[in-house]
Amino acid sequence: MMTFSLTLSGSDLLLLAPEIFLTLWFCLVLAVDFSMKEINHKTLAYLSVGGLSVTLLNLIWFDLSGVEGALFRNMFVLDQLAIFFKIFIVLATILVVLMSIDYVRNFRVFKGEYYVLVLMSALGMMFMASAQDLLSVFVTLEFSTFGFYILVAYLREDMRSSEAGLKFFILGVFVAGLLAYGISLVYGETGTLIFSEMVGTSGSYGLAIGFLLIFAALGFKIGAVPFHSWIPDTYQGSPTPVTAFLSIAPKGAALAILIRMFYVALATFKPMWVLLFVVASILSMTYGNIVAIAQKNIKRLLAYSGIAQIGNVMIGLAAGTKQGSDAIMFYLLTYLFANLGAFAVVIGVSNLIKSDEIEDYSGLNRRSPFLAAAMLIFLLSLAGVPPLAGFIGKLYIFVAAMEQELYTLLIVGLVNIVISMYYYLIVVKKMYISEPTDPSPLIISTPLKTAVCIGIAGTLFLGIYPKPFIDWAVSATLMFSNLAGQTAATQSVSSLLGG
Amino acid sequence: MAEYTLLIILFAPFLGAVALILVPNQQALLVRAVAAAAAGISLLASFYLFFAYDPDKGGFQFVQRFPWSEELGIAFYVGVDGIGAPLVFASAILLFAGIFISWHIKDRAKEFYIFLLILAAATIGVFMSLDLFFLYFFYEMSVLPMYLLLGMWGSHTKGYLSMTDPEGKKLRDSVGFIFNFGSNSKEYAAMKLTLFLSAGAVAALMGILLIYHFSGLHTFDILVLREQAKFSDTLSWIIWLLVFFGFASIAPIWPLHSWSPVGHAAAPAATSMLHAGVLMKLGHFSIIRVAFEIFPETTRELMPIAAVLCIFSIVYGGLVAYFAKDTKYVIGYSSSSHMGYVFLGMAALDYISLTGAVIYMFAHALATGMLFAMAGWVYDQTHTRDIPSLGGLVTRMPFVAGCFVIACMASVGMPGTVNFIAEVMIIVGSWNKYPVQVIVAVLGIVLTMAYLFKMMRGLFYGKLDEGYEHAHDATGFVNRMPLLLMIVCSITFGLFPGHFYDIVQSTVVPMLDRINQTAPLVTQASPGLLP
Repeated sequence: MMTFSLTLSGSDLLLLAPEIFLTLWFCLVLAVDFSMKEINHKTLAYLSVGGLSVTLLNLIWFDLSGVEGALFRNMFVLDQLAIFFKIFIVLATILVVLMSIDYVRNFRVFKGEYYVLVLMSALGMMFMASAQDLLSVFVTLEFSTFGFYILVAYLREDMRSSEAGLKFFILGVFVAGLLAYGISLVYGETGTLIFSEMVGTSGSYGLAIGFLLIFAALGFKIGAVPFHSWIPDTYQGSPTPVTAFLSIAPKGAALAILIRMFYVALATFKPMWVLLFVVASILSMTYGNIVAIAQKNIKRLLAYSGIAQIGNVMIGLAAGTKQGSDAIMFYLLTYLFANLGAFAVVIGVSNLIKSDEIEDYSGLNRRSPFLAAAMLIFLLSLAGVPPLAGFIGKLYIFVAAMEQELYTLLIVGLVNIVISMYYYLIVVKKMYISEPTDPSPLIISTPLKTAVCIGIAGTLFLGIYPKPFIDWAVSATLMFSNLAGQTAATQSVSSLLGG
Repeated sequence: MAEYTLLIILFAPFLGAVALILVPNQQALLVRAVAAAAAGISLLASFYLFFAYDPDKGGFQFVQRFPWSEELGIAFYVGVDGIGAPLVFASAILLFAGIFISWHIKDRAKEFYIFLLILAAATIGVFMSLDLFFLYFFYEMSVLPMYLLLGMWGSHTKGYLSMTDPEGKKLRDSVGFIFNFGSNSKEYAAMKLTLFLSAGAVAALMGILLIYHFSGLHTFDILVLREQAKFSDTLSWIIWLLVFFGFASIAPIWPLHSWSPVGHAAAPAATSMLHAGVLMKLGHFSIIRVAFEIFPETTRELMPIAAVLCIFSIVYGGLVAYFAKDTKYVIGYSSSSHMGYVFLGMAALDYISLTGAVIYMFAHALATGMLFAMAGWVYDQTHTRDIPSLGGLVTRMPFVAGCFVIACMASVGMPGTVNFIAEVMIIVGSWNKYPVQVIVAVLGIVLTMAYLFKMMRGLFYGKLDEGYEHAHDATGFVNRMPLLLMIVCSITFGLFPGHFYDIVQSTVVPMLDRINQTAPLVTQASPGLLP
């Protein structure tokens, strides 16, 4: 039986400081929204950004000073890995809030609550990054998804938004059931819920099925094939800032759990789960890229491109080494800037021309050279073209896979780069080569411009001088250093795959 | 200052592109001046580089090395040998000439110069990279600006289709997207070029990753890899083939060439110049830098593949060029054909022929640059590239016609131009090993004469067609300077090839000694290896 000691010392509270602060802060935002009826929603947005910035600074201080520890019998752990993903999530949230300011004007009601829900989801995901125990995985995952259920269906008058919300909700609840069932099976087989205590348990069918169910639930979160079916419709129907948020932050949080679960709890079964990730990765990349070619709507295109990008991320998981996890984390950073940047441009364009069709991007270069150039940089980074961040991210992941001699995966990954180039270039063609039907210039607001500029700066900096960020990722996963010695086990699997 | 020469050559165009972002679009003259200044600095520095390269010392000179990521074993490591230096020089000449050739572009001139500078800088970057990672980095970086340059400022090809299918419909619908040889739009050409080159690049990347992993040295440093990397026979064959065909797709070797004439035809003049002049040489150069340096033995075993394929390149390219009706198609296919000569020179693995191949790359860059520049001028004046509908332009543009004659002479290898020296060296050097190919190559020269003179006659002589009375000659400094620059370079090096020959020899001899196993590698101290 587990017993919890609920007496928290001052130093324990310190570990929770970012979360506690953010909890208080979103209560504050809510209180301000309720008490001051006439307040401009912009003020609330800047209030939220302020709170998130303080949290970000707090986390950066944790990272630099090396604050670490665990609470509640290892249910909540704060290590370098958790801090990395928390910074990732908070950064994504700041950018999303900045992008939202223009979009929230379109909402009829509940403008203030929007920011509260965004902050709440961010809080849930920050807890996910610290989850070290299957129970806390379940609770934090549902907590973070709870906010999204509402956010996705926020455009109440829009049928597509309601449809997106319904789809997301029903599938999400179904997946929660799978997760709970998987956890119960794993607990039945191992007698523990904590990852680090599962090391060395002997394999059994119950354990395998249990972890497959958990993987399915997390695969749903990151949008890996075959758990991707909700993604295109939900992405298209949701308010665009929510799509942007959904496309990056939950993926980071879920990957934190995936890395912990597979690298720590299941380290001994590596040959088996490598196969799982190889298959999921090949399916995601190929399916995402091929279906993306046929898309006419930019949000759907980015949705399918996101499925393909997750396939790339899973190459790193399939490598199953410290280098693999470093590569994933670096890749996520590059994806953060490029993908959020692309969505920021989409928001800017759709605010002005009220359309998300790729056809309506015709001649964007003539209407707004800034937006077109930004979109060009983001799409090419997603495609993996030097000197942009995405190229280094892809190369890093490929190097990690090559060190594990996963040839099949590498070849599929490389072929997919060429396929993806095609549909990204179709958008580029529309923006730069096609002539606009309406040549009136487009002018975007300052907060959105700030978000786009942060995206451009990040994409260029990570591409030209990635060293500090690579070093950061490397130091965040020092606990996985021992994984490097397990190459022999993978080699047998990779030889099975035609290596 | 001298040790930073390479960095100046490389970063002047990049910084020029960044500076252009800040220049307002309306100030057309300032935009051009900034671009010309950036290219000019690069040209002056590469001129210095070319003549300051010491052939007695040989090896890699002007070396600069900055660690970039220890985690992945990457360093920003640049230096040139006797092969890189002339190609850097040629790139800088063509960039500078190209800026002036496109002086009259009105539509989005700022973006045009930004992409042109990035394209040229990336190309220059490949020629000086001593790190496999950066070689690939710049290689892939040079592909994307091509897409935009072709798509935004290119032109549709109409005359080409009229030969077979006036509407273009049947062909467009029949063969699918990539292999649709009938499509005539610039968008199609741009997309095809980008996808082909990306596919080739990705194959080469696979080879590079295999080198990185199986050398076990945890480095992308070419100098370390060529000294220490050992690979099993099967593996080195696989890697060699991946690297060879990956890079040869840009060269372009038959049967991977089909993107190239379409791309040339659609591209604006300055882009065609850079594309045919230097971008295609990235293929040969990268094969020499990666395959020749790191896999000398495999190169000896497998290079006959190139000797076989080059026959097809020469004959096929030449024949299509003879029958083509579009000026840019003629020059484009002639480039494909002429790149076969470089492959022949490389395949023979002979001191004279490989030296000839390197000089030929430089010579061809200038000759093709001139031809494309003037085809672009004619197109700007007449708005057609259809040879049968043109004629008699010599009365309207005597200067351009005169330059065109010189360019044709250079392209066929008339004595006095640098092309002559290169061709003779390739032919003499490979005679012992590949007599059949040499006979084909000589016939290919005859074919070159036939189609170039046919085009010359079609464009400039005969009766002046109605409607072209208003065509202008190239007048003034801006229009004449780029043509004269290329002609002067071509003839100067044709008459005084001494230094050029020496620097190429200084690199080619030790490389071939290693490949032919007559002498071991002379170790060159790498700054990265020193304590």
